[in-house]
Amino acid sequence: MNRGAETTDDGVLLRRMMAGDEEAFTLLYRRRQPAIYRFALHMSGNVGVAEDVTQEVFMTLIRDARRFDPARGTLGGFLFGVARNHLRRRWEQERNSHPLPEGADELDALLQRSAAARNGKGTNGNGTNHFVGGGDEFTLIETVGRVRQAIATLPENYREIVVLCELEEMSYEEAASALDCPVGTVRSRLHRARALLAEKLHDEQPLRRASAVGR
Amino acid sequence: MDCAEFKEIYHDLDRPGALAACIREPALEHAEFCSRCAALLTEAEALDFALRNVARYSAGRQASPRVEAAVLQEFRREKVRATGRRVQWQAAVLGAAAGIALVIGLALHHRTVPLSGGEQAAAKTDIAAPAVSVEAPQAVAEVAGNAGASNVAGAASRASESGDEEYAGNFVPVPYADDPAALEGGAIVRVTLPRSALVSFGLPITDGGDADTVAADLVVAEDGTPQAIRVVPQSNANSDF
Repeated sequence: MNRGAETTDDGVLLRRMMAGDEEAFTLLYRRRQPAIYRFALHMSGNVGVAEDVTQEVFMTLIRDARRFDPARGTLGGFLFGVARNHLRRRWEQERNSHPLPEGADELDALLQRSAAARNGKGTNGNGTNHFVGGGDEFTLIETVGRVRQAIATLPENYREIVVLCELEEMSYEEAASALDCPVGTVRSRLHRARALLAEKLHDEQPLRRASAVGR
Repeated sequence: MDCAEFKEIYHDLDRPGALAACIREPALEHAEFCSRCAALLTEAEALDFALRNVARYSAGRQASPRVEAAVLQEFRREKVRATGRRVQWQAAVLGAAAGIALVIGLALHHRTVPLSGGEQAAAKTDIAAPAVSVEAPQAVAEVAGNAGASNVAGAASRASESGDEEYAGNFVPVPYADDPAALEGGAIVRVTLPRSALVSFGLPITDGGDADTVAADLVVAEDGTPQAIRVVPQSNANSDF
C-alpha cells in the first residue's frame, strides 16, 4: 500500500471496498479497527469481547455497507454506533445488567500489576522489572487502573460518552453522530459523567499525585 | 461570570474548540478569586490528566491479527456471493426482457394478421350496402381457411358460440365458388332474396308459406362476389346479428 492510499478519504475507500477492492478494505480496517477495539475494550473490560465486537463491526460493514449514510456523520461515527449496538445486544443476550463480567481480564490484570507495584514486586510477567520508569511509572499504572475501574462502574450511557469524548478524543459532534443523539445531550451527559468520576476518585490520593506529576 | 455559570462550563475549559475565548477568559478570571470554583477547576484538571493517562496507556491497543484474518476471509466470501448475485440478477433481467419481447411480438402478430383485409372489406360493405349488417371478419377468415362445406359449417357453429344462437343452418358454398382464397378478407352480409333465387345458389326451393322472399347470410369475398350462403329461419330473419 503506498503512501497516497494511507491518506485516502474514508468515503473513497468505502466505495472501492464496495466494488470489491480488498486492498481498500484492508486499509480501512487497519485505520479504523484500533479505535473500535479500544472502545469495546473500555466498555466491556474484556479482551475477548472487544475482539468479537470488532470483528462483528467489520462483518457488518462488509455485508451492509450501504447502511452508512455520509449525510448523517462520519464513517468512524457509524462504526462506533455499530459497535455500541453489538455491545448492547450482547449484554441483553447475557441478561447481565452490569456489562463488566466478573474478573474482567483486562482491568483485573491492570489492578494486579498496580497492587504488585505498590508492594514493590512489580514485574511484567516475565520476571523482569516492569517499572523501569521508577515512581512515575508506578503512579501512572496505579492511576490508570483506578480510573479505569471508576469508568467501568459508570452507568452505560455515561461510560460510552467518557470513552468516546475523553479516551478517543472525539468532538461533541462526532460523539453525537456515533450515539445518534443531540450535541447538547452529549455535553450534558459528559459533564454529569465527569462529575460522577470525580466523586468516585475524590478520595483517591494517586489521582492527585498523578496530576501533580504531570505538571 | 458567577459560580453557577462557571459550574456549567468548567469541564470544557481545557477542551479544544469547545468554548469560545470570550467565555473561557472570564471563567478563568472568576476561578482566580473564587476558591470554590478554583477547587473545581483543579479537580477537573486532575481528572483530565488521569483520563489522558488512560487514553495514552491504551493508545497502542488493537485487535489481534486473528480478527483481521477473519474479516478478510469474510470479505472474500462476500465478494464471491456478490458476484453470484450480480450474475443471477443479470440473468433474471435478460430473461424478463426476452419474455416481454416475446409477448409483445405475439400480440403484434395476432393483431396485424386478421386486420389485414377484414377491416377494409367491412368498410367497403358499409359503403355499398349500409342497410345490411356485417359480422365479425374473424369468422370470414375462418371460412376462408376451410374450403369444404363441412368446414364452412364449423365456422358457422363458432359464430353461434360467439353469441348468435339464432343460426341453425350451415353455410353452403355456392356452385361457382371454387377458390377458397377468394374469401380472404371477406364479410358476412345478411340479404333478402326472392325464394326462386335460391336455385341459382344451388339450394332447393323449400316451402316458405305465404312469403315470397327468404332471408339469407352470404359470405362475400373481397371482390364482392358471394362465396357461401345459409338460409336464415323466418323466426330470426328480422333479428340483428
